[in-house]
Amino acid sequence: MVNVKDKIASLDGVKIAETFEYVCSNPAQERIKKAVKEQGLNRVVVASCSPRMHLETFRQAVKSAGMNPYFLEMANIREQCSWVHDDKSKATNKAIALVRAAVRRAQYLEPLTPSKLKVTESVLVIGGGIAGINSALELADKGYQVYLVERNPSIGGHMSQLSKTFPTFDCSACILTPRMVTVAQHPSIKILTNAEPIAVKGSAGNYEVDVKIKPRYVDTAKCIACGECTQKCPVKKPSSFEENLVEEKAIYRPFKQAIPNASVIDKDYCLHFTKGVCGICQKFCKSEAINFNQEEEIMELKVGAIIVSTGYTLMDPHLIGQYSFGFHPDIITNLQFERLMLQGLHKPSNGEVPKKVAFILCVGSRAAIAEGVGYCCKIGCMTAIKQALLLGKSVPDAEPWIFYTDVRAHGKGYEEFYTKAREHLTTFIRGRAAEVIPNGSHLIVKAEDTLLGKQIEEPFDMVVLSPALIPNKGTKELAYMLGIDLGPDDFFLEAHHKLRGVETKREGMYVAGASQGPKDVRETTMESMAAASKVATFLGKGEISVSPEVAYLVPDRCDLCGICIDKCPTKAIGRGKKEVILDTVSCIGCGLCVPICPKEALDLKNTTDKQLVAQIKGIVEGDEATPKIIAFVEKMTAYGSADLGGQSRRSYSPEIRIVRIPSIGRLGIKHVLHAFAAGADGVVFVEGDDGLLKEDKLREHVIQFKKDLGKFRIQSLRLQSTTTTLPQYEKILALFDDFVERIRKLGPITQEKREEVKKFLEGEKNGP
Amino acid sequence: MVHEKTEHDEEVKTVQQVVNSESGKDFLREVMKMPGGEKILGCIQCGTCAGGCPTRFAMDYSPMQIIKMINLGMKRDVLSSSTIWVCSACYTCATRCPRNVSFTTLMMSLKNRAILENMVENSVDSNFHKYFFEVVNKYGRIHEPELLVKLMDKTDLRSLQHNANLGLRLLKKGKLRMRAPKTEQNKWVNNMLEKTSEKVSQ
Repeated sequence: MVNVKDKIASLDGVKIAETFEYVCSNPAQERIKKAVKEQGLNRVVVASCSPRMHLETFRQAVKSAGMNPYFLEMANIREQCSWVHDDKSKATNKAIALVRAAVRRAQYLEPLTPSKLKVTESVLVIGGGIAGINSALELADKGYQVYLVERNPSIGGHMSQLSKTFPTFDCSACILTPRMVTVAQHPSIKILTNAEPIAVKGSAGNYEVDVKIKPRYVDTAKCIACGECTQKCPVKKPSSFEENLVEEKAIYRPFKQAIPNASVIDKDYCLHFTKGVCGICQKFCKSEAINFNQEEEIMELKVGAIIVSTGYTLMDPHLIGQYSFGFHPDIITNLQFERLMLQGLHKPSNGEVPKKVAFILCVGSRAAIAEGVGYCCKIGCMTAIKQALLLGKSVPDAEPWIFYTDVRAHGKGYEEFYTKAREHLTTFIRGRAAEVIPNGSHLIVKAEDTLLGKQIEEPFDMVVLSPALIPNKGTKELAYMLGIDLGPDDFFLEAHHKLRGVETKREGMYVAGASQGPKDVRETTMESMAAASKVATFLGKGEISVSPEVAYLVPDRCDLCGICIDKCPTKAIGRGKKEVILDTVSCIGCGLCVPICPKEALDLKNTTDKQLVAQIKGIVEGDEATPKIIAFVEKMTAYGSADLGGQSRRSYSPEIRIVRIPSIGRLGIKHVLHAFAAGADGVVFVEGDDGLLKEDKLREHVIQFKKDLGKFRIQSLRLQSTTTTLPQYEKILALFDDFVERIRKLGPITQEKREEVKKFLEGEKNGP
Repeated sequence: MVHEKTEHDEEVKTVQQVVNSESGKDFLREVMKMPGGEKILGCIQCGTCAGGCPTRFAMDYSPMQIIKMINLGMKRDVLSSSTIWVCSACYTCATRCPRNVSFTTLMMSLKNRAILENMVENSVDSNFHKYFFEVVNKYGRIHEPELLVKLMDKTDLRSLQHNANLGLRLLKKGKLRMRAPKTEQNKWVNNMLEKTSEKVSQ
């Protein structure tokens, strides 16, 4: 039988080939170091287990021998060869092919060093609700400079509007406002209200953010919040803090505990701005705080990390027409009910105390229609139960009815809270209300009690709707500005649903609270703490290490067509003067930009075109297997899946040779053609399920390749693609078997076709 | 039309047996292919349809329950229910359904199915459906007196006597025409009905 060691030793450039029982053991590593030093080696290839297992071990070994760690290359002949093939001679051939490919690739390896980057030790928190407040406090206490940017004139968010919180009946303002005061007084926190970020530049660790501060026309430093101006102001407007239930003046304080505690002028209503008259507030202000000439200001902030906690807003209940919202003043939202409770519970129509109140849940939630949203609002059930109990407390012989679809009492103490509501004689009707009919001073609710199978028609004094929670206004624009993703529900998307819940796909950017999805105060608070902790971990060492495996520009080739700029998933490519600018910190080394460049001006370090082509040729040239098949496998999930197949000793066709690449998107048609020209008969792509090419994108990618192959009369059946999750190794290995069978039936590609492709590739090389 | 004994009488009776039976699942799959049945798996049984249904009082099962029964494969109970005949096709449920189930369309499909499967109880509702189309097919448009006579003849002849006065008053005001209507495009209507019935029987 052929001996792998002898075969490899005879290859060009190989100075020494040795075998060892356990290469990862200390004596073996010492042997490698000794060989490097004594023989003056400049490349090392280790053919053993999966690089997922010991790549770092061997890199450290050669590094300690004085060699650049990226001069080490591995061939996986255990998980993907010896453990999975029964036919010894075929497996030996495969091992030779894999090691040969590694040797060929090693000749083109370049020295790389991870760079260190100093970070700015300050943080921007966007959104001053309970999430932003908590994150800011946590980080400021850890010693970071924090900028808390809030769009409204006061921080506090939705929590400041609530009466009491479920399930403990804590007074919302009593637990929130002390924190607001602490934030305001903290020396390391700068609050910017009436402000919004408008541009973000830079990269993780060193972001530059432009924040637009809208004029408030009142100097917060001078204003003593005496309220004189508000008393004298002649213009009234609906109060947004009171959910438009009452009116306030055009110069107003958002609410009593507002931070900053100063008045603000609403430009859309103030007579000075609308008609150019009045100015009475200025006359009466003793501290001369009012300044009509205040102008918009742009502030440049330098921060190392950004936390997004922009929260939610309620869906407009007008959209669900059958509930007659807007047709009767006593049909209100649950947030309006909160305000009514704090004002002293009354009917907006006539000021009487409501006795019989209907709470209608799932207004626009859990829907598949255009007007609604698909997800559950998560807080509606508990809010309605809380409000029903509070109604019972404040109004003798009150009659709360809750029309629910399913009661979701999932948190700590929530189920008990639900029980309490039943014990307090809240009427629960299982059935989504069908319609609300205003009838004079009464409101008639029609619904089906689905448990009894009977229709109900009941008159009520007041109807409280629980509208769906949707992302706050401007979420889309902010996501685009920051270069982070939105999920299918339009909320911000976390990096991983289970394990990386507050991180985004862009390093240095984090998300917390209801801007990531509907949630209650408790969950929001915990997420804001988690985000703060992640930021501290990221900035804590003062510098970050940046992987050298990133895209780079081949000088003088770029003509600034800009195709790559849109393709980059992390916004790492920007437009420069003569050529594009690559941000090596934001780049995640996926290589998506490389094959799409028409000028071949981009390449990826440690997976360069030269290295890839050498590896492809190394696998098939001189290989005795028939048919010859190359499987390009995404390096994390998909490659791990193939390894898992090896660990499970699931045997499959030995004709498959796996090449590990960062993403299928790294490959261009060129690489596929090289494979066929060099002697391959079939090519398989396996992308990780969580990879950068999602299933539909991968399909697009592959269809284009198949069309291109058609030009060379190579059957499209010779190219196959799939995605896999880590545990799904059975799927890809079965696909390997089927594919080998298919290619065997198709037979080898004729030599003429290969020559044609070869000629084309050579023409390309001499071309542009 | 009297319900005749069919193969369905041998079908399993209890819900538990139906749920897991192949025939039950087949029925679900069939309904999902019918017009209006495409989205029934999205139903979350919220009851919006039933709550607003104006003819719910006359139904033996609510629209929501019909969907649940289809899900469980209770073919016999669904096709012999009064619900599908009582539905007045007002589209209230379909308009409000948060899950986009086209319930009214589904009712039409189930009516057709019930006739094809010979599962129609001899009731005013089902006969109305039948004679309505018979008359339309004959004249190309509706002819009320003939429809009324046919319907009452099959169901309750005595009601003709009871309603004689009302009929006379309608005649006097010209609301009822004794002479059969003539339409030039009768053939088109016939063709249309023929084609749709072909489609249904497929």
